[in-house]
Amino acid sequence: MTSGVTIPALVAGRLLVSLLPLPDALQHDHQLSSPLTSYSRLQEGIYLFKNGIDPYSGGVFRHSPLFLSLFSTLLPTSRVTSSILWTLCDAVGALALIRIWRARQRVSSSSRDGLIGAVYLLNPYLFLPTLALSTSTFENTLTLLSIMFASEGQISASLLTLAFLIQLSLPSLLLVVPLFMLLVGDPVSRLASPAPISSDLRKTIPMLFEFMVYSIVLVLASTLVSGSWAWIPNTWGLGLTLPDLTPNPGLWWYFFTEMFDHFRPFFLVVFSVHLIIYVFPICIKFQHDPLFAAFILLGILATFKPYPTLSDPGLFISMIALFPEIYPYLRHPIVTTLLHLHASLLLPLFHHLWLTQGTGNANFFYAITLVFGVSNGAALIDCIYAGLRIAIGKGDGFEVVQE
Amino acid sequence: MLAGWRCGACFTLAIWATLGLAAVPRERFQESLIIRPLHDGKVSSQFSFLTSVQDATPRNPETLGLEDDSQHYTVFPLALGQILREYAITEMHLTLNAGKWNYDQWGYPNEAGVGTGAELWAWMGDGGLATVDQRWQGLRNALAGLFCASLGSLDEQRTTSPVLTFAPEGLLPNWTRPHQLRHASLPSEHVCTENLTPFLKLLPCKSQSGIASLLNPHQLFDADWHGMGVHVWLDPIEGVKVRLTFQSVFDPVRNSLGGRRDWSFTSIFGRTIEKHCPVAQTSSIQIELPDDKSYTLSPEPTRVDVNIALFDLVNRTEPFEAAMQWLGEATFEYPLNAGDLSHMPLSVRRTLRGSSQARGQLSVVLTNNWPTEMHVIYLETMPWLLQFYLHTLRIYCNGEPCDHLISNISYTPPVPHARPTMFQSVLTVPPKTTIYLTIDVSKSFLRYTEHPPDAQRGWDLPPAVLVPLRVRENQTIDQGTRYPRIYTPILLVDLATPDFSMPYNVIILSCTLITLIFGSVFNLLTRKFVVVQLDGPTKDKNIN
Repeated sequence: MTSGVTIPALVAGRLLVSLLPLPDALQHDHQLSSPLTSYSRLQEGIYLFKNGIDPYSGGVFRHSPLFLSLFSTLLPTSRVTSSILWTLCDAVGALALIRIWRARQRVSSSSRDGLIGAVYLLNPYLFLPTLALSTSTFENTLTLLSIMFASEGQISASLLTLAFLIQLSLPSLLLVVPLFMLLVGDPVSRLASPAPISSDLRKTIPMLFEFMVYSIVLVLASTLVSGSWAWIPNTWGLGLTLPDLTPNPGLWWYFFTEMFDHFRPFFLVVFSVHLIIYVFPICIKFQHDPLFAAFILLGILATFKPYPTLSDPGLFISMIALFPEIYPYLRHPIVTTLLHLHASLLLPLFHHLWLTQGTGNANFFYAITLVFGVSNGAALIDCIYAGLRIAIGKGDGFEVVQE
Repeated sequence: MLAGWRCGACFTLAIWATLGLAAVPRERFQESLIIRPLHDGKVSSQFSFLTSVQDATPRNPETLGLEDDSQHYTVFPLALGQILREYAITEMHLTLNAGKWNYDQWGYPNEAGVGTGAELWAWMGDGGLATVDQRWQGLRNALAGLFCASLGSLDEQRTTSPVLTFAPEGLLPNWTRPHQLRHASLPSEHVCTENLTPFLKLLPCKSQSGIASLLNPHQLFDADWHGMGVHVWLDPIEGVKVRLTFQSVFDPVRNSLGGRRDWSFTSIFGRTIEKHCPVAQTSSIQIELPDDKSYTLSPEPTRVDVNIALFDLVNRTEPFEAAMQWLGEATFEYPLNAGDLSHMPLSVRRTLRGSSQARGQLSVVLTNNWPTEMHVIYLETMPWLLQFYLHTLRIYCNGEPCDHLISNISYTPPVPHARPTMFQSVLTVPPKTTIYLTIDVSKSFLRYTEHPPDAQRGWDLPPAVLVPLRVRENQTIDQGTRYPRIYTPILLVDLATPDFSMPYNVIILSCTLITLIFGSVFNLLTRKFVVVQLDGPTKDKNIN
């Protein structure tokens, strides 16, 4: 069993790297942490909270009150302990990914475990945000845990982690539908043999009720911790109103920097609704394989969510490892990889040229975020294509086209 | 019966007394000019025009819905009086300054308000129909109209309430609800002729006679530093007072051919006082005499008090001009030392470090010049485009961390596009020691419509305000002896700019990418996959 050696070795290696002095320089990088996930803003919020100033009365602290309560009581906030905590969180995420894989294959262990763990632990899009102590690491781990519990049929655990995840990041609401389908169905791959959903969807009603209870309890707990409802517009509302236009690798920030004031509310609604549009078509099309639908929706989130960091596409890319059956049907994997390589090398460079060096302007960074969007979109479209194309299979003498 | 008659007489008398006072408010107008030759060859001048209305009280905001008393003034500026009554202002201070007041060289100014740009603060009673914020908005718009200044920009994005730093100078009447403070500053506002003209119109003699005839815009706005101020407050004995001031720092060395520091009214103001203002009850000129005794002063002063020469203009009929000369000095030698720092309790330097447009570090260096421990109220008000990270606040003294030197922190975090930051605290500076205060800041990214037309120039940040305090043992901060406020120079912050020519391009490019992905995804999801036989008849195999 390779994963028994690989994973601890990788985790140990990452712990070593995270304890190097390097992370301080990364902490303020806009591509690794957004205003919603930045570590220095988290520290600021904890400082204000401990000194009796409501952190939600201003615009600096955007994290969930759950982080506030955890970090101001239980969890340590020193540099070293934080690094260890974040790396362990990634390790949990990697283990969750491995267990999703095992559940999908219906095996208790496989030769691919080590590889899947490595794909998660060594993915630079996930590795660097963890070094920067971005709280997106927690979001990714909760996403994976929620999918893992759903794949293993542990309904309450899955719903609870999902409720936690939505507390931290509202756009994750997109995952509710595929996760419910996963809870009533199973994670086994049926991409090659599509069939209408056979599970009884009425079973989701008590689950929905349970999920609502968890969410309401967490909302009330958050309100209790922060002392008022002010946290809702400051955390959840941020993605809907976009008051903070800090650059990130996503598509929203420059669009709304350059937006005419009288069109801003309209486009904010369009961009928010646009995210929701994908949920049902994808869940209907991939009703035979809800895990794949969840994976595709994570890709949609990584491309289109309001404050993405590199860790969002990172999760999507690492999850590709769960679906080896689609690899032969990918149309242009080399092009997509090269696009990603191109974008990820130029993103930090153009960011530096614009904001630090002063030799480039905002268009440099905007252009490369567009390329990054193209590469995420290309990966997403290719995965959807391969997930559908696999149903026909390969053979000589025929070609598959769309009507 | 007798008692009733007496009562009636008292009542009648009381009515007569009230009417008499109301009909003839005793107004006083006093003017003065203080001239100080400075250590570095410059000459500071301060014009002060004080009008007081005896027994007048500020309007209680509870009466805002009712008909106001009619306003009859003889020398009190009516335009200002109407604004004060309309918005029920108890105390108000407006200053418009240009340049950097060099405390280390020039010492304290005669008027404390020397922050660069516009600064307005007012104490207002609460209650009544209009809220404090509505009246504050009305006040700044009215003053903007009165003084032709962009005070309308002192909006809620700049308004704070730093009560510890800006304590009232006069008395606050004891009304049912407590008074509130509003303070705002606009460092990028400049003062010029268009502000001086309405200022002169508020004076009873305009610039026709008296000391005000020296206010010559050509000379004043050529000065190294110049600023005007309007101060209204309630004196517990003398009633409502208005003080209009104009300060300037001239450089006679720069303007003389031989590099001499001699000055006269003609050389610095370009005018002399032809006749005195008849309504002025006092009209005095005070000239501070330098420590080196090599000067000659003409004409002979009316009186000399220690080192101040006094001239009284009220009974003078002939034109007046004062002049000071250093006859034994061919050219002025600039002093090489910084001068005696002990006349200032504190020296301050404030800088914004870091070359990145995303973040930086604010650094304040405070030196206590005196051999006693000093408490200092330290106030930072920042527009929301600069965000403080309070957890990175560090203080160093003698090369070691001294975080215990800061106390009484009150902090209002900024709200993007809406509210500024206010950070107020008390620093304890040990005797003859320099402390270094640093705090990390992040710079915001603005919408393209929020940038000023000259976006690449950067944004002016308001000055920090420091109030040195002498606090004895068993005294609280509020009870300490206050020294006048000290303003730091303003800062310029370079914010990242978007490409202003790009809005259409960005909308088009971003939307294209989104529709491209959206279209491709739905293309895949909705259209059927069909199998096309490459040889032989076509056989469709549909999925889903």
